[in-house]
Amino acid sequence: MKLNIEGLLVYFPYDYIYPEQYSYMLELKRTLDAKGHGVLEMPSGTGKTISLLSLIVAYQKAYPLEVTKLIYCSRTVPEIEKVVEELRKLMEFYTKETGEKNNFLALALSSRKNLCIHPEVSSLRFGKEVDGKCHSLTASYIRAQHHSNPSQPVCRFYEEFDAVGRQVPIPSGIYNLDDLKDFGRKKGWCPYYLARYSILHANIVVYSYHYLLDPKIADLVSKELAKKSVVVFDEAHNIDNVCIDSMSVNITRRTLDRCQTNVDTLQNTIQRIKETDAAKLREEYRRLVEGLKEANVARETDIYLSNPVLPDEVLQEAIPGSIRTAEHFVGFLKRFLEYLKARLRIHHVVQESSPQFLKDIYEKVCIDRKPLRFCAERLRSLLRTLEIADIADFSPITLISHFATLVSTYSKGFTIIIEPFEDKTPTIANPVLHFSCMDPSIAIKPVFERFQSVVITSGTLSPLDIYPRILDFRPVTMASFTMTLARTCLCPLIVGRGNDQVAMSSKFETREDFAVIRNYGNLLLEMSAIVPDGIVAFFTSYVYMENIVASWYEQGILENIQRNKLIFIETPDAAETSMALEKYQEACENGRGAILLSVARGKVSEGIDFVHHFGRAVIMFGVPYVYTQSRILKARLEYLRDQFQIRENDFLTFDAMRHAAQCVGRAIRGKTDYGLMIFADKRYARADKRGKLPRWIQEHISDGSLNLTIDETVQLSKHFLRQMAQPFRREDQLGLSLLTLEQLQSEEMLEKISQIAQQA
Amino acid sequence: MFNVDRRLKFPSALILCLHYPACLLVMAALSEEVLLVVKRVRQRKQDGTLYLMTERIAWGPEGKDRFTVSHLYADIRCQKISPDGKSKIQLQLVLHTGESTTFHFANESTALKDRDAAKDLLQQLLPKFKKKANKQLEEKNKMLQEDPVLFQLYKDLVVSQVISAEEFWASRLKLSSVEHSLSNNSKQEVGISAAFLADIRPQTDGCNGLKYNLTSDIIESIFKTYPAVKQKYAENVPHNLTEKEFWTRFFQSHYFHRDRINTGQQDIFSECAKQDEKGLKSMVVQGVKNPMVDLLSLEDKTLDEGYGSLTVGPNSSKTVKENSNSAIIKRFNHHSAMVLAAGLRKVDAPSDQASETSSTDGNSRDSDFFQPPIKKVKLQEAIEYEDLQNGSGPKTIALNLKKSDRYSHGPVPLQSHHYSTSQDIINSVSCIQEEISCYKPCLTRVMPSSAASSAITALSPGGLLMQAGTQQAVSQLVPTDVQSELKHLYTAAGELLRHFWSCFPVNTPFLEEKVVKMRSNLERFQSTKLRPFQEKIQREYLSTNLTSHLDEMIQAAYNKFHAWQTRRMARKT
Repeated sequence: MKLNIEGLLVYFPYDYIYPEQYSYMLELKRTLDAKGHGVLEMPSGTGKTISLLSLIVAYQKAYPLEVTKLIYCSRTVPEIEKVVEELRKLMEFYTKETGEKNNFLALALSSRKNLCIHPEVSSLRFGKEVDGKCHSLTASYIRAQHHSNPSQPVCRFYEEFDAVGRQVPIPSGIYNLDDLKDFGRKKGWCPYYLARYSILHANIVVYSYHYLLDPKIADLVSKELAKKSVVVFDEAHNIDNVCIDSMSVNITRRTLDRCQTNVDTLQNTIQRIKETDAAKLREEYRRLVEGLKEANVARETDIYLSNPVLPDEVLQEAIPGSIRTAEHFVGFLKRFLEYLKARLRIHHVVQESSPQFLKDIYEKVCIDRKPLRFCAERLRSLLRTLEIADIADFSPITLISHFATLVSTYSKGFTIIIEPFEDKTPTIANPVLHFSCMDPSIAIKPVFERFQSVVITSGTLSPLDIYPRILDFRPVTMASFTMTLARTCLCPLIVGRGNDQVAMSSKFETREDFAVIRNYGNLLLEMSAIVPDGIVAFFTSYVYMENIVASWYEQGILENIQRNKLIFIETPDAAETSMALEKYQEACENGRGAILLSVARGKVSEGIDFVHHFGRAVIMFGVPYVYTQSRILKARLEYLRDQFQIRENDFLTFDAMRHAAQCVGRAIRGKTDYGLMIFADKRYARADKRGKLPRWIQEHISDGSLNLTIDETVQLSKHFLRQMAQPFRREDQLGLSLLTLEQLQSEEMLEKISQIAQQA
Repeated sequence: MFNVDRRLKFPSALILCLHYPACLLVMAALSEEVLLVVKRVRQRKQDGTLYLMTERIAWGPEGKDRFTVSHLYADIRCQKISPDGKSKIQLQLVLHTGESTTFHFANESTALKDRDAAKDLLQQLLPKFKKKANKQLEEKNKMLQEDPVLFQLYKDLVVSQVISAEEFWASRLKLSSVEHSLSNNSKQEVGISAAFLADIRPQTDGCNGLKYNLTSDIIESIFKTYPAVKQKYAENVPHNLTEKEFWTRFFQSHYFHRDRINTGQQDIFSECAKQDEKGLKSMVVQGVKNPMVDLLSLEDKTLDEGYGSLTVGPNSSKTVKENSNSAIIKRFNHHSAMVLAAGLRKVDAPSDQASETSSTDGNSRDSDFFQPPIKKVKLQEAIEYEDLQNGSGPKTIALNLKKSDRYSHGPVPLQSHHYSTSQDIINSVSCIQEEISCYKPCLTRVMPSSAASSAITALSPGGLLMQAGTQQAVSQLVPTDVQSELKHLYTAAGELLRHFWSCFPVNTPFLEEKVVKMRSNLERFQSTKLRPFQEKIQREYLSTNLTSHLDEMIQAAYNKFHAWQTRRMARKT
């Protein structure tokens, strides 16, 4: 249908529309109009992606000079592919309606592992291996050597792409990962480099968060993307953790040992080159004297996305003399390394700030702040000069150099914690230096600064105001949308007691309590008897799940559950879990029914949907608080309190509730879907917990379903399931939660729709 | 856990209770080979001898040569034995009728051995009978119920004793079994309860022992779920261990109580555990077919080593308890996977083959030009909003043609020069179209309209020219009762003739016998059925050529028979 969103003609590739989709598009349009950032929460399964795409594509078509590009970031590879497929659908609709040939270029970008077509390289299993092998075939000096010595192997796809691929732009169309590969095969071009090159002039780019948020990758891939782009972070409820992860560094003794070998190799290589090709080193030296002027010019003229690992100071100055020659630099690295080794030789926990660390290093080994700051850049230049083939081998030294640059650049937002052993095993020495980022805004700052509109969206972003605070940006729109329903297809229930009236809770004092564990077991057992097909149960942590499963096994509860359904359990091993997942789906598919025991914050809870019969009930055992004893977390909480005035408890509850909401939200993926959401912990009934659930879940929790016993839960569930099993037709939805174009245009409906969005 | 350990230190007794569902049909005994004779068996306080024969079990009191007790195996629902340690060593047979017969083995020295011998033999024999008898009768019944024509035929031929029931079924059953295996499996495979191990709850028997009740269903389930155990069973029972010892060891083994950390004691099942481990590993290595659940390729770009805030060290230091916990988890996953696989094994076989062939033509890594379509399908499924779209009609399966030419022409003989490709066809079609487009009616040579219309009326049904050819439909000439009788005659005759012709070429003595019999059957049919009918229609003045075709058919059979007989005579003399 064709929609009129405040004067913008939007093609929407379906015959019907959900009211909240319309409302969502309105808010989104306002965000784009204001050229500002937005935070939008809309339940999963209400067609968020297609609404986003429809509106932004329409906007791009209407104002090609205002918005030149859409950068759509998602979290997992299947998600990325899904987005591209939805986009394809939209574009087909455009072609059908307007009759014009589509002149949009949209493509997905992923790592080499998913795009490589070189027969040998692509057969490698791990991403890192693929990257390394690719580099060893495509590095510039390798190719230079190939010129003089044709027996030196190179990648023919890359050669072909390099020779002709850049001259002719890829024809417009929608390219998913497989389409890129097909295209690459047809032309004999490397799809990965083709995609990386093509994102510069593509209208829509779909890729993963890391390409924008991880400075190491963003610098390579995304730095030249146009300023007039709209950036969308989908499934963004965890975006702060992604930011923090990309900036944090851990150094163990093993890292340092490997660094040592790296440094030795560097030294030998320098020695060798010095004997054979001293000119090369001299050339590098000259370049360094001139400084990184070039990069500076580029940044000033606003061509590049800035890089948090490459601070502005570095660009304005030349590399300090003390590390300019290769030998001096290696000596410098050696000294730094020895210092770190000494720091790891401790017997008690040390926590200090960056300035303290810098002071200490100056006192102990006379390393100044300035050369440290140039470390990352200097090492990169050296590795290039020395023509190191296998970059992957040098990851430890690169890591150390990043650490050096970060620690000397940021005096705030980071903390250094050195732990001599793990808390659980105080007898085994395993020293680790955690250099952890506590401020997610550092990594995402360049994105907010550079791009005109950044939209953060997800099914679970409640409470909305916390994201602008922790990410440090000022949104122009913040809205949460509910799900209009013709029938209440979700049924959140809070179970607080067992039939014996013993309170159920995973809180620390009672989690080992026999009665609690037994009650949890009984709950699962009772549910397994009444819920059809699949049940997914989430635990607060892996260790907790292991303990509970063991004691259920001893008490014979699992055996009884097996009479009703098969049991599959997530393990720390991803491959094993994938298999269990597939078997779980198989069991749901063939009618046997199954239970999947899984972990909140695990891979399953973040990336796998349990649509329809794959998840008729989700049980959340306990409140998934993060492990609070960790020093890193404590430091972060402290930082949040001091910098953003967010109380520790508020943040912990917020974090726990967003994960709980993520877990239970996995079961509902649309209005025709239905599922029970069972929160099995007394504490969920409290207002401070309940209030942090997304609105679309919260509004279905009635006072009557707050502190139920297991029996009451079973009764309510039975009733709910019986109702839901009735046939559900389009006519039931029409006019309420599903609209035709005419219905949408009526005054009354527009009035209603305006209430769907709740401004935060 | 502790409980289990403590209990298992004591020897556990084992009771085998074999249990079978009801069975219906009695098979006629053909020969009575005696498989086992046990003397000094008491029944109702009377000494006697127990005979186990091929089809029944019988007991006769001492000194008499007739059986006072005789049960067909098919009548027996299950056997029960007295627990070890009881003073009386007994075997009880429970019949489907609910009655039971108890035999007391009275020979002091060998009573236990005798009983076990009898039990073991029964255990082998009973399942065979139950299945065979049941299935056949049911199948026949079903066929007759489902097919009224067949039922009529059965009445015509068997009830009126033209041919015997066995002859009637002899060819039918074979036919049907083929049909059945093609259309749907005659018997639906029953899956395994996931909790079958839970059903073997051990019970204390009061004196520090443990009793496990094993039924043949459970044993079957164990074998199906754990093929490794089945293999062990085949290897060790009965040469190395008795069945009881085998199961005792099974329940004592580390394999059954997987949560116990292996204490290093060697038992025959340690190998099974290893095999399972290997199986699990190979399953894991194989990976998953559905890309949407593949957690390995979920992440696009993982953080490099050393980055990130949460680095839980590789679980270097796991306590013993944690290890046993993860062993339980692994075991549950494996168990569920095996149960699921056991239920699907049959169904899987053909589809496996299909996937193999498809993998040869494209799934290999080098040539994924042919992306596994499963990915596309799953993606489409994932982005579909069924309620936003107008009904797209029932989903159909796309026809996947490798060579569309072959599809549109069907299999053609190998004379390739007659073979016209679709290009040829397209060419000729376009040729014709071209001709049509430049066709100009030649108006001067057209027939006058009156002549044309009279020709059309003459050629219409009922018209002048059509009269001679139209045979007045039989349905209009013959009363319905005669019609239906004729129909029955036709089917009956057809059936008989089918039997007759199926004897040719006559190359075995059995067939010779049969063909002679069939001829007499045909003659009987002619005299008892066909003649009366012919007389009847003559009486009613209907044209006799109603049955002429039947006569012809039968005559042809006679001729064939005659020819065969004269040839045989000639060969004999």
